[in-house]
Amino acid sequence: MTKLTLFTGAIALVTASIAIGQGTGDVVRGKKAYYDQACYACHGYQGIGRRNVANRASGVLVNEQVFLLYLRARADQNPDLSTQTMPHYPASSLPDDVARDIYAYILTFVDDPPEVGDIPVLQAILDDAETE
Amino acid sequence: MKKPHDDGTKISRRQFLGTSAAAGAASIVPRTAGAEPQDAAVAQVVQTKASPPSPEQMAREVGAATPPPVASPAVKRPGSDLMVQVLRDLRVEFVVSNPGSTFEGLQESIVNYGDTPNVMPEFITALHEESAVDMCHGYARSEGKPICALVSGTIGLQHASMAIYQAFLGESPVIVLIGREDFGPRQQHTADDIAGMVRAYTKWDAQPRTLAEALDALQEAYRQATTPPCAPVVVVLDAEIQKQEAGDLKVPAYRPPSIPTISRADATKIADGLVRARNPRLNVGRFRTPEGIDRAIELAELVGASVDTRATSGPMSFPQTHALCGPGNDTAYDYVLGLEQPGAQASITGPHLRTLDDRDIIGIGFGDIRPPVRPERNRSGEYDLVADAEASLPLVIEAAERKLNERDRKSIASRKTTHRQANHDARVAMLRKAVEEKRAGWNGSPVSLARLYAELWSLIKDKDWCLASGTIFSGFHNVQLWEHDRPYSYLGMYPAAALGYCLGSSAGAALAARARDRIVINIQGDGDFNYAPGSIWTAVHHQLPMLTIMHNNRGYHMELMYLQHLAGVRGRGTDRMHIGTTFRDPYIDYAKIAAGYGMKSEGPVSDPDALYAALERGVSTVLGGEPYLIDVLTQPR
Repeated sequence: MTKLTLFTGAIALVTASIAIGQGTGDVVRGKKAYYDQACYACHGYQGIGRRNVANRASGVLVNEQVFLLYLRARADQNPDLSTQTMPHYPASSLPDDVARDIYAYILTFVDDPPEVGDIPVLQAILDDAETE
Repeated sequence: MKKPHDDGTKISRRQFLGTSAAAGAASIVPRTAGAEPQDAAVAQVVQTKASPPSPEQMAREVGAATPPPVASPAVKRPGSDLMVQVLRDLRVEFVVSNPGSTFEGLQESIVNYGDTPNVMPEFITALHEESAVDMCHGYARSEGKPICALVSGTIGLQHASMAIYQAFLGESPVIVLIGREDFGPRQQHTADDIAGMVRAYTKWDAQPRTLAEALDALQEAYRQATTPPCAPVVVVLDAEIQKQEAGDLKVPAYRPPSIPTISRADATKIADGLVRARNPRLNVGRFRTPEGIDRAIELAELVGASVDTRATSGPMSFPQTHALCGPGNDTAYDYVLGLEQPGAQASITGPHLRTLDDRDIIGIGFGDIRPPVRPERNRSGEYDLVADAEASLPLVIEAAERKLNERDRKSIASRKTTHRQANHDARVAMLRKAVEEKRAGWNGSPVSLARLYAELWSLIKDKDWCLASGTIFSGFHNVQLWEHDRPYSYLGMYPAAALGYCLGSSAGAALAARARDRIVINIQGDGDFNYAPGSIWTAVHHQLPMLTIMHNNRGYHMELMYLQHLAGVRGRGTDRMHIGTTFRDPYIDYAKIAAGYGMKSEGPVSDPDALYAALERGVSTVLGGEPYLIDVLTQPR
């Protein structure tokens, strides 16, 4: 098995066995850290971006422990495990307390967009296609 | 392709080589194979140092001078008038230029010559040579034919070089005219072989020695640019030739290029495959001109083929919502013909840049370090033909027409009906999924890019529009939400992936749009904008129907992500990634920049509920014939 497979398996086990939790970090500090660490680059300013994290869209957001495990698993446990997506965040560069603050802030992202039927320009695109 | 100096004729060397000023020019120019001195006397001159410019020359250079003396007041029929006549006969609509002191002869003819001066071509003022060539590039992608950029000597060409490189990789026909003045005070502005600086990424160049040669060269430039592989070409026009008396010299008759086609035997074989197939398929890439699209539609309808298009990634491809465009009723295709695309059973592609072996290999040298991008030909198809697909299609259509009998035609009619329904259903299913995804973050601030594209679409869908800017950095939302049915619907990405392109190329597309009751949409990245914003002024000055919507994410966002990723890999933290990648302290106010250039503008818009009204104002203004800019603060991607 590859390191990646082991890691994915570990995340899956932990995710399955740990209940959804709330953050213990500080949301205000987390907002600043989210910006300073440029988390918005991929996840948008409200958790909608190339990788959505609003509404706990990712499994690694199930609770704080899983989030920290995800950040550290490659960076500290397997620093040579290359990543194609999420950058590595070792504890040396992103301490646990800052990571907890970021986690707490991410949990405030709730995206509740209107239904397509309530967005006229999107509904019109569908209607136009159906009548073509 | 044959270089202009390989035939032993050498570049132009007139008696001025005996002057000290010309000697200075020669002494600063690196010697190239095409610019060897012809004899010992010339070689001796090359080693001589330049004399300083005369007081008159220097006075002219600093702008406090009286106009330069007219070379010959007796000139009744300037050579540059005939150059303009050549361009007029070729229906070249525009010459885009940042003025320089090497081509006032040609410029004066453009704006004064003939019964309809400054029309066909019209002189378009660019504020940077890179913008000028980008405008030519945008026009060429939109119309499938060239206009001219006019640049001054070595300095203008170097400003233009990035855009020429981009047009070369985009296989776009662009004619670059270079003014050359050996008697000027600035020897840095001239060279024996000016075109050599861009020979690595142009298709053909010439430096004519006489007016008659210059007229021939302009016609040959047009032929070369428009013959596949289409690409930028260069003609160096000496200032003296522009100003000399033409006498009774006539503009030569233009001889259209010969476009390579497949043979009739090949056409018959392909037609046989298409007609015999139970489920034929066309893979359609980018044609040279809109004519290719018409012929592809004709063939698809004739043989009842479903079609794969590249219309959502660039210009001149099959209409995206044509009834036959889509996966069709059955994806088990038994005969796939590629048209400027690979095909399983047959393909007609090229010739493309890979055939230009004498250009980007020897060039100016970087080809020796690493061969430039030259995609290998896809030879996966069984029957791979190197020819121009557009020019070959009439032969295939003619052969197919001959082969079809009444039973075939009934079967094809039935197949087209089933394809039409299947493609419709596939598009609706795709859109149902897409709109669900696009509503995510709909009310977020800064503005969701999906919302921007969706709201803009509702305002332009019934207009004649051209999306001139590449959309990779703003999410490609047009690919799913918009309908790309015209040759110029989407002009595609930056061919060299080099920023500083969208504003100029969009202005070029808008040059084409202005006389065609079309509007141009430019969804403009902020990083790209800041290279050469002067095209804003050009758009205002020439009243171009261009709506620029800033995708303002306040940074070089891709580079931010790359830097962030590497810092993570190195375990050194990501809290300083904004250094060198973002526009902070201060933020840039694009609406003010546009206003400073005289463009109507507004923003920054960060409230999503304010976006639609801003877009309405923008579209309305552009439909009225004026450019407009909306600065929208957006989500990063």
